Amino acid sequence: MNQERLYKVLLGPHISEKATIIADDAQQVVFRVAKDATKPEIKQAVEQLFNVKVSDVNVLNAKGKTKRTARGLGKRSDVRKAYVCLAAGSEIDFLGGE
Amino acid sequence: MQVSVETTSALERQMTITVPAERIENDVNKRVQHTARTTRLDGFRPGKVPLKVVKQRYGASIRQDVIGEVIQQSFYEAVQQEKILPAGGPQIDFKNDKDGEDFQFTATFEVYPEIALADYSAVTIEKQSSEVKDEDLEKMIDTLRKQQADWSEVESDAKDGDRLKLDFEGFIDGEAFEGGKAEAMDLVLGSNSMIPGFEDGLVGAKAGDEVEVNASFPEEYHAENLKGKAAVFKVKVLTVSTPHLPELNEELFAKFGLEATDLETFKVEVRSNMEREMKNALKMKLKDQVFTQLVDINAIEVPSSLVDSEIENLRKQAVQRFGGGADIDPSMLPKEMFEEQAKRRVTVGLLVQEVIKANEIKADDERVRSTVEEMASTYQDPKEVIDWYYSNDEMLNQVKGLVLEDQAVDSLLASANVTEVAVAYEDAIKPAQQ
Repeated sequence: MNQERLYKVLLGPHISEKATIIADDAQQVVFRVAKDATKPEIKQAVEQLFNVKVSDVNVLNAKGKTKRTARGLGKRSDVRKAYVCLAAGSEIDFLGGE
Repeated sequence: MQVSVETTSALERQMTITVPAERIENDVNKRVQHTARTTRLDGFRPGKVPLKVVKQRYGASIRQDVIGEVIQQSFYEAVQQEKILPAGGPQIDFKNDKDGEDFQFTATFEVYPEIALADYSAVTIEKQSSEVKDEDLEKMIDTLRKQQADWSEVESDAKDGDRLKLDFEGFIDGEAFEGGKAEAMDLVLGSNSMIPGFEDGLVGAKAGDEVEVNASFPEEYHAENLKGKAAVFKVKVLTVSTPHLPELNEELFAKFGLEATDLETFKVEVRSNMEREMKNALKMKLKDQVFTQLVDINAIEVPSSLVDSEIENLRKQAVQRFGGGADIDPSMLPKEMFEEQAKRRVTVGLLVQEVIKANEIKADDERVRSTVEEMASTYQDPKEVIDWYYSNDEMLNQVKGLVLEDQAVDSLLASANVTEVAVAYEDAIKPAQQ
């Protein structure tokens, strides 16, 4: 797998109540990822970019909502999220750097 | 809270204040909790943002705020604790500003000097007194008439008091110099508005005459290159006019805003004005003398922060005096221009305060009342002005300040050697030499 692809896999952190809770409880972090990203790709990308060990990756596709407007139906884009479980002893701090 | 004070120079103090980490931590946490309840953040329901997230996001700025407050508070506490009276605001420097450690900062500021008033009884004050004599009154009425004089052109020779319209050009050693030329200028002979010799040379000239006048610039002339030089002016007299003094009648009185109907009442009014002016002038002079002596015998060092703020005041006043100076920036005026004056003012202010304190002077209600009445008497409706002063605390305090100052002067005068000197009216109203 080439390096360039790895930089395109992760789109950004997904910050929410659930994400902060599971970060504390289950050592999991949540990312928005590219639509066509695979679990092995995500695992490798997270490990390389954040310098951590990943034990598991779960992914899901969230369908965008359909929105009705005066001009007819609109659709928000779909989002693919990845719940990345970190191995014991690893940690990612998104907020610290901001 | 730990405080240590260092004396860095005669009036400058440096205070090092250490604030325990907990005090800051506590405040920060309280605020974080407060923001957590109100803040909105994408991905979180309102009020459900975890403290950790809030702290990470807003922690730094909250800490800044808290530190700002802590500095103010602890500086105030420290000043009280150490019983120091700072003059002007402190300059704050951070020494240790790390999360979780005791916070330390230094505050550098100046204190009021401790003043031990020198003995004032050795001082001699010359108290001037004067009265308005009949001649003075006549002279004043004369000047008033001259101000309202009508001019009419004449063919005869110009004499003292006449007004000439003239063109002239000045030469030094045969060469024209800058500013030595004017056209159609009005000049009243005997008004001494030109350099000495110039006006004398024109006495006897007729309209249409061309005269050469020899005059020399005085030694203390304001233009450097002209000092003490002898100059020749080629003057062309255009017209000569003599003044016609107006009759002393009601019309003239009205021009001066007086309601007099005959000469006698006019005289009385003018005299009372003159007397008031003289009284004020004498009082100012006396006060000035008292203060000058006070400053002379008490050499004190004044805090530069006070001097700076006084300079600022003077600058603003100067700009106002220039008039229409909305576009003049006060900070453009050079500082040096006002420095000495500001220093003197601050010194006088401090010393007078000390005098007031030392003698336990309090503003006398009766004197306040009479001062207000006196100020009001020049207005159309004195009663209203008095009521206004008494309904406005700020104004009343200003008056009280004035009265206090007067009383301080009185008490200084009481201890000094006062010699009474009678002077002529004209000398009395002249401003004191600085």
